[in-house]
Amino acid sequence: MSALLELRGISHSFRGLQVLRNVNLRVEQGAICGLIGPNGAGKSTLFNIASGFLPADAGQVVYAGVEVTRHSVERRSYAGLVRTFQTPQVFAHLTVWENLMAGCYKLTSSGLLGNLVGTPGSRRELAAMRATAERVCREFKLDAVRDVLAGKLPGGMQRLLELARACVAAPRLLCLDEPSAGLNSEEVAQLMQALQRLQQSGMTILLVSHDMDLVAVASVIHVLCFGEIIAAGSFAEVRADARVREAYLGV
Amino acid sequence: MAEPALAAATGLRAGVTHGRVWALGAVLAVLWVCMPALASRSIVDMLVFTALYTIAGLGVSFLLGQCGIVSLAQSVFYGIGAYSSAYCATHFGWPMPAGLLIGIGLSATIAAVVGWPVLRLSGYFLALATLALAIIAHVLFTEWDGITGGTLGVGGIPPISLFGFALNSPARFYFLVWPIAILLLWLHYNLLHSRTGFAVRAMRDAPAAARVLGVDIHALKVKVFVLSAVLGALAGSLFAHYVSFVSVDSFGVDRAINFLLLAVLGGSRTLAGPILGALFITMTPHLLGRFGDIHALLFAVLLIVSVIFLPQGFGGVAAQLWQRASGRKLEPKP
Amino acid sequence: MNSTLLLQSALAGITNGFVYALIAIGIAVIFRGTRIINAMQGEFSLIGGMVAYLVLERLGLALPLAAVGGVFAGGILGFVIELTLVRPTRKRGGGEESYLLLTLGVAFGISAAVLFIFGRDARLLAGIGGEASALFFDAAIRIHALWLMAISSLVLLLLWLFYKRTRIGQSMLAASIQEEGALTIGINVPLMRTLTFLLGGLVGGLAGVLVSPMITIHYEMGLLLTLKGFAAAILGGLTSPFGAVVGGLTLGLVESLAVLSFASGYKDVVAMTLLIVIMILMPNGMLGRRMRKGG
Repeated sequence: MSALLELRGISHSFRGLQVLRNVNLRVEQGAICGLIGPNGAGKSTLFNIASGFLPADAGQVVYAGVEVTRHSVERRSYAGLVRTFQTPQVFAHLTVWENLMAGCYKLTSSGLLGNLVGTPGSRRELAAMRATAERVCREFKLDAVRDVLAGKLPGGMQRLLELARACVAAPRLLCLDEPSAGLNSEEVAQLMQALQRLQQSGMTILLVSHDMDLVAVASVIHVLCFGEIIAAGSFAEVRADARVREAYLGV
Repeated sequence: MAEPALAAATGLRAGVTHGRVWALGAVLAVLWVCMPALASRSIVDMLVFTALYTIAGLGVSFLLGQCGIVSLAQSVFYGIGAYSSAYCATHFGWPMPAGLLIGIGLSATIAAVVGWPVLRLSGYFLALATLALAIIAHVLFTEWDGITGGTLGVGGIPPISLFGFALNSPARFYFLVWPIAILLLWLHYNLLHSRTGFAVRAMRDAPAAARVLGVDIHALKVKVFVLSAVLGALAGSLFAHYVSFVSVDSFGVDRAINFLLLAVLGGSRTLAGPILGALFITMTPHLLGRFGDIHALLFAVLLIVSVIFLPQGFGGVAAQLWQRASGRKLEPKP
Repeated sequence: MNSTLLLQSALAGITNGFVYALIAIGIAVIFRGTRIINAMQGEFSLIGGMVAYLVLERLGLALPLAAVGGVFAGGILGFVIELTLVRPTRKRGGGEESYLLLTLGVAFGISAAVLFIFGRDARLLAGIGGEASALFFDAAIRIHALWLMAISSLVLLLLWLFYKRTRIGQSMLAASIQEEGALTIGINVPLMRTLTFLLGGLVGGLAGVLVSPMITIHYEMGLLLTLKGFAAAILGGLTSPFGAVVGGLTLGLVESLAVLSFASGYKDVVAMTLLIVIMILMPNGMLGRRMRKGG
């Protein structure tokens, strides 16, 4: 199986502190890959580097066989690499429905002038955007809150919306940053189901989480501690690993 | 298609209270047509300025309400539009469209060239940079008196002629400038409900998330800034042909403040906002003229009050009152 | 180039530089104490100069008293504004945009109020030592300008000591850096914020009193002073009075020397262009201190 995302030798320091040290990580196509580690391990930094928000001091990011280390966030997004954030970044002043329409940006291409005047192409695009938003709304069961301003949604629904929005443009690699933070156990279960559904439809998922229950859906788990990968393997293997237990319990 | 636009103007969702929206629209339309016949010349003149300011103010309002950018640079482009038209008409004798297009072209170019680095700034820095630009422009307008006539100004700008019919009175100009303003508001509506519109609003609420959806934030900011500048130049050009004499006093920092003020007071998130704001800005000096220069103070006080108490401006308040009157709880147009 | 002319320009630039430094330090004080960038700092100077003028001309009191009156007027204005305008905005959860519009609104309001009450005429405040000047290698410099530099330097030093050595100064800093922490050790955070504005107002008022004899007092002077002070603040970094002086002097010198090459009408263009350029190229200032995230 080929790797959709490969992080090779990623190192990064921040204000004199070495945050990541020669990190190597492969995310196989079609798999759900988990990344766990204690607080301050460098997970967010690694995530930011993988998604393009932070340039690495050293190392490469290879996506679908192409080196994307210098590529911008937008460019990676067009290639299918999409991420979510630790605090849900919904568009607060737009309704749920409009959030999803906004997610269609990559699927459309009309320019500013065309939009201004309302050319037929622009109108067709709008209709297509509406249809896509409808479909995703139903898929993620957001119909009931379609017309609610995203900023007014409870935290759990905001996360769901962010996920749905990220999926609108059918990404190849979905990177989720703490997707279960602030969710109750029922919501976490729903999230796990959603993730499995997505995987079955061919999506590759990279998941950063503190939540051991959620991470159980992953087929491979990497453990990051003090900027280094100390273990990688299945859930059972990782749980049994002595170094991992020490990292989590013996600090 | 007109119906959603009307509904949007009053902040409602399309399809609701059909009858009321149409009735209001019809009344306003009739009133609008009859106004020059009913009102005095000075009132019509005031309404012409309202339309001009609506056009320029729409640019600022769009930047503020949808993009979160506080711009005090609109007076720059207003001036460029006005002086381009003035110069081309008086020095070269070119017909009106020439000066207008040159003014728009210059404004767009300057907005793009200056905007590219400046729009990388955010918040305060950006606002102060636009203020600095307004000051620079004002000084240049004063110093480059070969083109602008400096403090003496440029006079003798011919009125616009349409089909051999010279628009040299407030009533005639009224029937040119308002359709233009309404057209622009319609275009603005189109833009908001399109791919670009969603990208712009997304950019304001959560820039990082917008980037992840593929939006090139910086490029988009520059594009809307250019668009806003074009509106300013258009308004300035029309202004020059209306008043036939322009001088540097019209293009200073206080003008820039007026444009920002109308965006804040009128409410930058409703379609009718710029009109309401412009109406207020033009009406107030008119009404308070006998008290001397008090309107500047009043404007400042209102700006402060609205920042603290009325973040959605008059337009937002009007939209809420309308919703309450029709008895439905709807969210305001974002 | 005539060396006397050059020297004269340099001296003028240095004098202006100290004024900009005072404005910059006022902005810095308020920023460090409340995280608000004060777009009305120059208006404190306008009011300071105006009040000093009124005390001198209308009440007929001596210049030192007038000066003190002006300084206090600035302080009182700052105090009142924080209490009546900034606090309510805070309570309503004002974002950065709100404070920006608020301080801009107040700046325009004060300018408009002065316009309304006093009209468009410029007024001249008498300087220290009147019109007398001294000679410095053939270049003339007003006695007042020398006093200006001396007083500014003293004030800057005092401010530095205030923040470093006194408990109140440190409390003011603590209140802005870590609000909850400050509250738990018993610092009255709202009071500290008000005092910050008071202090900023005092410094602004002083700047106004010092600069008014050299440029005239008129209703538009505040805005330009604010922007130039802001430029000085960014140039030098907002973290120390030393930075304010460096920034102010740099701006003042560049401005005065540039005017030797262009016509004097372009003076403000030079300063404003420099402001924009600095904001883009050097948001952390020449001394490389971190002023604000994402500037």
